[in-house]
Amino acid sequence: MSSDFYNISILPFSGIIIKLCRAYTNSQEDFEDYYQEVCLQIWRSKDNFREKSEWSTWVYRISLNVCLTLLKKKKNNSQHFVSDTLPSDGSEYNNAFTDESLNLLYDAIRKLSEIDRAIIMLYLEEKSYQEIGDIIGTNTNNIGVRVARIKIRLKKILDGKIN
Amino acid sequence: MEKSIENIWKEGFLKSDALVAPKINNLYSQKSIHIIDKFKRMFKINLIAIVAFSFIFLVVSYFVGVPLMGAIFFVTLMVLVIINKRLLNGLDRIDKGENSYQYLKAFNQWIKKQVAVNKRISTFMYPIIFMSIIIGFWFKDAEGIPLGKRLVNEVLFGFPDTYLLFGIPLIGIVILVLIIGLLAFFGGKIYQWDLNIIYGRVFRKLEELMADIESLNA
Repeated sequence: MSSDFYNISILPFSGIIIKLCRAYTNSQEDFEDYYQEVCLQIWRSKDNFREKSEWSTWVYRISLNVCLTLLKKKKNNSQHFVSDTLPSDGSEYNNAFTDESLNLLYDAIRKLSEIDRAIIMLYLEEKSYQEIGDIIGTNTNNIGVRVARIKIRLKKILDGKIN
Repeated sequence: MEKSIENIWKEGFLKSDALVAPKINNLYSQKSIHIIDKFKRMFKINLIAIVAFSFIFLVVSYFVGVPLMGAIFFVTLMVLVIINKRLLNGLDRIDKGENSYQYLKAFNQWIKKQVAVNKRISTFMYPIIFMSIIIGFWFKDAEGIPLGKRLVNEVLFGFPDTYLLFGIPLIGIVILVLIIGLLAFFGGKIYQWDLNIIYGRVFRKLEELMADIESLNA
């Protein structure tokens, strides 16, 4: 990948990738692996971009799809989807940000299912229900209900009422 | 007052350290950890190994005196390679820029297709390989006559009442048919079992992800 492509087409949108990769990983090492992999897959798929959507939306799709289907090698060399490797308390990742509330929110998000993580991330990024539906590939009717449920669950996790 | 998750999100990312991109080095030379790339690598290595093995086996079988066995092996494995090479091309058509449901569905369909095709191939392949061994040794030259013919003569010498069908002891044919039947029956199952050990969790996870998205459509 040329550094030009990275600097022009990826770096300005790195925030999206960083936010997503943080939600699907539980350590700095994994995060860096996932970030690199997403960048690699964006570069490999760039010829498929048809300008039907904005570049940022397309980057979001690639990042999400890659994060949903990434394999990481555990120390024992067995392969799993990332969610299988997450510890229940997300303890390895407590200091990713200086903002403690954000760290706690991310820990809570990591306890959601993969799809719920995607939905709440898109919601927090102020995407409309229509856009969330388009990115996930579902109709918008139930997105609002699901967002409300996820927020209740997140609140409970943050309040320590559930794990 | 307690902050909403929306405010935690917004305020947290206002801080300068929150969105620092990690350095990326030698990106392209690094081994991809993506599942599609992993499948591609696994497939390519397997196909290269099969091609190399079938060539070596063809040469060795000629020198050992069982060229028929080597030839059947070679043709069977080449068919397997060609079919799987075509399957591999399908992986390149999976668009990661599609929405998540379409992307997961396309990948799941590819997996199901390759499992179904290879299961069907296994049903035929194991019996064909077994038969190639039998045919190879049957026609192997044993001091002027085929080894099979010589074996039948020795059986007839020991057991003159042996019933022959097409010049072969009936009991031998029955055992052969039984083994072929078992190999055909278990061939696909062995392949599925083998694949589930390596990728069972991945397959289940894919199904779960898709079911979760589908529940939003319900």
